[in-house]
Order: sequence, then structure tokens, then C-alpha cells
Amino acid sequence: MLENSLFGILALFLLGGSLGMIFFTQTLFSAISFMFAMLALAGMFALLENSFLFLAQIMVSVGAVVVLSMLVIVSVNLKASNLPHESAKGRWIIFSALLVTPLAMLIYKALAHTHTLFEKTDEGYGSLKMMGATLFSDWVLPFEIVSVLLLAAMVGAIMIGRKEKRHDT
Amino acid sequence: MTPDNFFLLATLLFSIGLIGVVSRRNLFVVYMSIELMLSAINLVLATFSRLHGDMHGSVMVLLIIAVIAAEAALFLAMVVHLYRLKRTVDSDDFNTLAQTKEEI
Amino acid sequence: MIYIVLIPFGSALLLGLVYLINPKKERYHFYSRVGVLSPVLSSALALMVGFEILAHPSDAHFHITLFEWISIGEFKINFAFMADRLTAVMLFFITVIGTLIHIYAAGYMRGDKAFGKFFSYFNLFMGSMLLLVLADNPIMMFVGWELVGLSSYLLIGFYHQDAANIKAANKAFILNRIGDFGFIIGLALLFVALEGHGYTFEAIEANIGLVERSMLALIAMFLFVGAMGKSAQIPLYVWLPDAMAGPTPVSALIHAATMVTAGVYMVARFSFLYNEVPQVGEIIAMIGAVSALFAAVIASYQSDIKRILAYSTMSQLGYMFIAVGLGTYSSGIFHVFTHAFFKALLFMGAGAVIIALHHEQNIFKMGGLRKQLGLVYGTMFIATLAISGIPPFSGFFSKDAILAVAFSSEHYLIWGMATLTAMLTAFYMFRMLFIVFFANASSAKPLNPLPKTMTWPLIILAFGSATTGLLGLNEAYGGTNLFENFIALPDQTYELSHTSEYLLGFLNILMALIGMGLAYRLYAVSAKEPRANTVWRHAVIHKFYIDEIYDFFIVKTLRHLSLIADKIIDNKVVDGTLNIIISGYLMAAKLFVRLQNGKVRFYALYILAGLAILSLLMLDTLGGL
Repeated sequence: MLENSLFGILALFLLGGSLGMIFFTQTLFSAISFMFAMLALAGMFALLENSFLFLAQIMVSVGAVVVLSMLVIVSVNLKASNLPHESAKGRWIIFSALLVTPLAMLIYKALAHTHTLFEKTDEGYGSLKMMGATLFSDWVLPFEIVSVLLLAAMVGAIMIGRKEKRHDT
Repeated sequence: MTPDNFFLLATLLFSIGLIGVVSRRNLFVVYMSIELMLSAINLVLATFSRLHGDMHGSVMVLLIIAVIAAEAALFLAMVVHLYRLKRTVDSDDFNTLAQTKEEI
Repeated sequence: MIYIVLIPFGSALLLGLVYLINPKKERYHFYSRVGVLSPVLSSALALMVGFEILAHPSDAHFHITLFEWISIGEFKINFAFMADRLTAVMLFFITVIGTLIHIYAAGYMRGDKAFGKFFSYFNLFMGSMLLLVLADNPIMMFVGWELVGLSSYLLIGFYHQDAANIKAANKAFILNRIGDFGFIIGLALLFVALEGHGYTFEAIEANIGLVERSMLALIAMFLFVGAMGKSAQIPLYVWLPDAMAGPTPVSALIHAATMVTAGVYMVARFSFLYNEVPQVGEIIAMIGAVSALFAAVIASYQSDIKRILAYSTMSQLGYMFIAVGLGTYSSGIFHVFTHAFFKALLFMGAGAVIIALHHEQNIFKMGGLRKQLGLVYGTMFIATLAISGIPPFSGFFSKDAILAVAFSSEHYLIWGMATLTAMLTAFYMFRMLFIVFFANASSAKPLNPLPKTMTWPLIILAFGSATTGLLGLNEAYGGTNLFENFIALPDQTYELSHTSEYLLGFLNILMALIGMGLAYRLYAVSAKEPRANTVWRHAVIHKFYIDEIYDFFIVKTLRHLSLIADKIIDNKVVDGTLNIIISGYLMAAKLFVRLQNGKVRFYALYILAGLAILSLLMLDTLGGL
């Protein structure tokens, strides 16, 4: 019972946050809605008894991503005059919603009815210990590759974000 | 709280993210919509992990989150770069590759 | 035997190449020696073959196969030669008279800048004609047929600087082609009708019974259309007078002695076919008779010496077709044989006169040349007697044989036309002779001297014209008809008593004398060019306006059609359709260009649209939600 109502509230926040994100004109409002959605998602992970993911989601998705994007939004100094004029936003959203519907139906059809109920989990499910055990035994190679990926992304971000130096002599 | 609910939620999130990518001109909103799509996938994976009872799905989620972080860095660096070039974050203003009528 | 054909082709090639190396250099001796040597060699070889054939029985065939040329399923054609008695006769006079004319041409064309080219073409013609008569199957004969047409075109248009000559050459070739079209249809029908029983002459002869009569008649008619074009019968004759634009040796060889007789040869070669369909033969004989009369009438009013001879050739060809049409192939070939001698002689003599008078061709500007050109006069006199049919010269025997056939086979209309034509022949030939050699001299200019190479052949041919008649002497006159027995063609025989034969012969001589007398009275003393003062004269002098009629109905119609095809069909319809398609594409392209506006958002939308469609399809397949 508790779980169901928790689920309901979190779902509401999730959906509301994401809808808000795409509807708000002001960028900062969109970012804040997105943050709420990410928090709600973290809660979802908690509901799934996955403590590690709950933490990871808050740390990365909220703490890094949202904060970083807010930083950039603010540093770019988006005023009302700078914002893009999205006059046909509503029409576009409705049109693309129509186009997305079949895809969504297909995805749901593929996913649903695989299992009907959640089962009881073991003790230690979702703990850091179990996560570490799986990560460093079966998933070592992807782990290493992702670390290389992060390195590359770091280098790339620095390269792209650099100020151009003008060579005047 | 059945798995089907979670799946429904994830599907809705994914669609909303997709709508956002296509409809909005503001680059930041596009970025956040992409994140939203990835997060929907994370939700699906986590649900399956819970259903199977082992951590394989969760590990995948972790790795995807790492990728999200990398992508954040790159995307936002690009937005900064583009802003420096054109002083706008409207994706419609970056259309130099368009085919103009005279070029037919 | 192969070398008979190969030598002229080889020398043509050699002369052509040497000429092309340096067209301006004058290599008279080289060209004339090579050019004359090749027909001489061919004559020697032809005579050898002839003797060989003489020694064998009458239906012997000699074959030489070079290689298999076409092999498509049942259609097998070899590059092969065949010689039988008919071939031997044709070979004889083609090579011998050809040699004489080559010698003559060496003298006639001396000093011409394109001398080497001339002999190259001349030898090419010899090779082609020999290929035609030595062919083993109709396709090879057709190859020779086309090649002589080509050589004729090249030689008529030899003086190509003058546009009128080119037109004449084109006319000859085109009319020839029209005839060839019929010929090809005939050959194709024959092949289809024989259904794979082989396509050489012997094979066709053996299997001729397989083809039904109506089809055979059709084939025979179509083959004759080819002969109509090649041998200048009505209605495809209009090229022959214009062909006189070529040099005189060309007229002598091609348009008198050899090429134009190819049609007659073809009918004789297909004698087994024409024997099966005598109705077609009657049509052929009728066309021959009408052509003969028609040409004789026109010739009586012509002023150009070569044109008179051209119409005379057409007329004599008509006689030959009367003979082969009525089934007496050997009489037709005999007339071909004798005609070659005296017609070549007449042309060469005319050429001598033309050269002597500095290229003057209008007979009314000549006159009184009897003393100055005595040799030419003597030989041409003999030839004129021969063509008029006065014994003992050769023309009498061959012409008499044809008239006898016409009479005894009860084709009295043909006989009547032919006899009238005989009278007219004598008339216009003696008219020409008298005007040129007897009447008042029109000009007192000094004459060009004639080289020896031009005069000796005249003498030899005069001898031939005088004596070859004896070969065809039939029993009524005491001979054993050596010619007919030699050539052994499947003739029809018609009964004619000796008295009737003598009477007919006498009638012929009478007709000839009447013609000669008329000519003497009208022209021997004073010769005036006929003016077009009556309607009849107007019509005849303008050759009955046939050329103009053809031009109006056929040429202009074709021109209009091709103009329509070019301006309307090609430009408007075809190009218009293409343009519509192209502009459709352009419009569609312009539409689609608007989709590529460089904005990433739109591209994502397109991907989404594609995904949506695919998902719908998948949902449909999977059966809905």
C-alpha cells in the first residue's frame, strides 16, 4: 500500500517534471523541472530496492549533469531577448506526439507482460557489495572501456571548449 | 507497483524525451530530452534487474550513467563553442549545410 | 579459280593504297601496268577454267569452298565458288572484254589526276562482277551484286567536282537499292520456304519442288524487282541515262557489257525457278518488251551521243528479258554475249570521238568525221550493223532468235513490239552514225590524236561483233547452235518450221533496212537538232517527263515525310515528352529541396516519421496492442 502510493507520487513528479521540461520557454525553468524529474527517478530506483543506483543517480544525474547544465545556462546569459522564438512549439509537440505514439506502443508491447509480479529478493540485493562483485567479475571489460571513454570525453570537451587563439604576428 | 507500471512509465518518459528532441529549438532543452530518454532506459534496466534478482542490469545502468556524464561534458562544451561562434542557442540558426534553391 | 576473283580485288587494294600514299604524284606506268595486268591474268585463268569445263559433261559443276561464312542454326552460307557452263560463258566475255576496256581506259584516262583511283575502282568492279558470276549460293551472288552497285556508284561519281555527277551517282545507287530491297525479300522468302534444306544453287534446284506455286511466283517477282533495278527496266531505269556522267570507259564496261546484264544472268541462274512459274515469265517478257520500245522511242530524239547509247542499252536489255521471260534462257544469254561486244565497241568508239573533239558530246556539233577518224568510223559501222540486226553480223542471229521465240510461243503483242523496236533501233543507231560521221561538219577544229591503246581494242571488238554470231547459228541456217548446246540451260522449246523462220528472218532484215533508209534520208546530208515544237516532240525529248513525275510523287513526298519526322516528331513529340519528364523531375526536386533546410531538428523529425511508419507496420503484423 505504501509502496503503491509512493510509486504514484514519484510517478507524478517524474511525468510532471519531464512534461514541464519540454513545455517551459525559459531555459532555467526547464532545467529545474528536469532536476525534479531526476530526483523522482532516483526515488524510483530506491523503490526498486536498488540502493546503489539511488545514490549513483543522485550523484551523477542531479549533482553533475543538472548542475553543469545550469552552470552553462547561466554563463551563456540567456535573457528573454536571447531566447529562440519558438512560436509553433505547441503544434510541433502535438505533431511529434502523434508520430511517437506507434513507436511507444510498440515498445510497451515488447516490454509488458514479461513478468506479472515482483518476487522477493535476497538479502544484499542492490548493495554496494553485490554491485562491486558483479562489476569486477563479469563486467570488467566494459568497465575498462567506459573509463577510456571518459578519458576521451574529458580530452574532447577541453579541446572543443577552448578559446581560439589568434596567431597575430 | 507491478513491473508493467514501471514499463509504462519508462515508455512514457522515453516518448516525452523523443518529443522534446524533435520539437524544441533550444539546445539545452534538446540536451535534457536526450538525458531523459537515457534515463528511461535506465529505469527499464533497473526493473529487469530487480525481476531477475541479480545485478547485471544494475551494472549496465551504472555504465550508462558514466556515459551520460561523458556526454554531458561534450555536449555542453559544444554548446559553449557554438554560442561563441553565433551568439545563439537556437538550433535553427545552424543551417549552413542547407540546399538553397539556386544550387539545384 | 579463286584467283580469278582475288586478283582484281588484290590489285584494287594495291592500287588504292599506292594512290593514297601520294595522290598527287603521277605514276602512269605503274598504275596502268598493274591495272591492266590483273584483268589479263583473270582472263587467262578464266579461259583455263573454261577449257576445263568444256572437257566435262554438260551438267558438271566445279566447287571451291573457302570457308564457312555464316552459320546460324540451319542457315549455313559458305564463302564458296561454283563454275558451270553458264559461268564459263559469262567469265569469258566479262574478262576478255574487261581486259580490252582496261587497255582502252589506260589511254582514255591518261592525264587525269586521279588516274590511280580510277584503276583501283575499275579493278574493284571487275572483282565484284566476277564474284557475282562465280558465286555458289544466292547470298554470295548478292554480295557481288551489292559490290558492283558500289563500284558503279564510285565510278559514276568519279568526276566528283561537279555536283551533277554526284547526284547521278546517288540516283544510280538509290534506285539500285530499291531493286535490292525486292531482291532481299525474294531471297528471304526463298530461304523460309525451303525450310533448312541448304541454300546453295544446287540445293535450291534439287528442292524446288518443296515450295508451293504461289510462293514461287511471289519469289520470282521479287527477285525480278532486283533485276529491274540493276538492269534498268521500267520502272527503275531512270538512273541509266544519268549514269553517263561517268567517264566513257565506265559506261562501256559497266553500263553496257557487264553490270547491267547481271539481272539477266540472275534470271538465267534461277532458270529452274522461273520454269516453274511461266506466268511470272510472261510478265517479265512484257516489261522487257515495253522497256525496249520505250527506250527506242526516246533514243530517236536524243542529242547526246552517250545518252543515245544508254537508251540503246536499255532497249537491248529489254530484248534479253523477253528471251529469259519466255523461258529461252540460252537465247537471252546469247544476246548478252553478242551485245557485250558491239555495245562496248560503240561506247569506246563514242569515247574516241569525244576525246578527239575535245570532250564534245552533242552529236549535232559533230559531223563529217568519216575521213579524219577512219578507223573509228569503220569499227563503229560494223557495230551499228551488228546492233541493227543485219547478217552476217552477230546481232542478227541473237535478235532473230529472240523474235522467233516470241512469235512461236504465240506472244504476238510482244513480238510486234519487239519488231517495231528493231526498226527503231536501226533508225536511231544509223541516225547517230550518219550525223556524227557523214553530215556537215559543225566545227573545223583540229582533232586530238588518239593513243594506240584506244584504237587496238576497237579492232578486236569489231572482229568479235562480226563473228560471234556464228556461235549461235541454229539449224535453220545450217549451224548446230553451238552456243545453246554448250550452255545447256533448261530452255523451253517452241516449234517453228524452217519456212517461218526464214520469213521472220527476212522480216527482221527488212525492218532494219527500213530504219537505215529513213535515217539516211533524214540525216545523212544535213543534220538539224530536233526542236520541241510539237507536243509529241516535247514529250519525247523530255523523256516523257518520267523523272519529273518520280520527283514530284516520290521524292517530294519522302522529303515532306522526313521534314515532318524531323521537325515535328523528333523535335516536338519525342523531345517534348522528354522535356515533360525532365521538368517533372525538376519540379519534384524543387519540392524535395525544401526538406533539406539544414536544421537538425527537421532531420530528426524525418527519422521519427520513418520510425513511426515502421512501428505501425510492425504493430500491424504483430496484431495490435
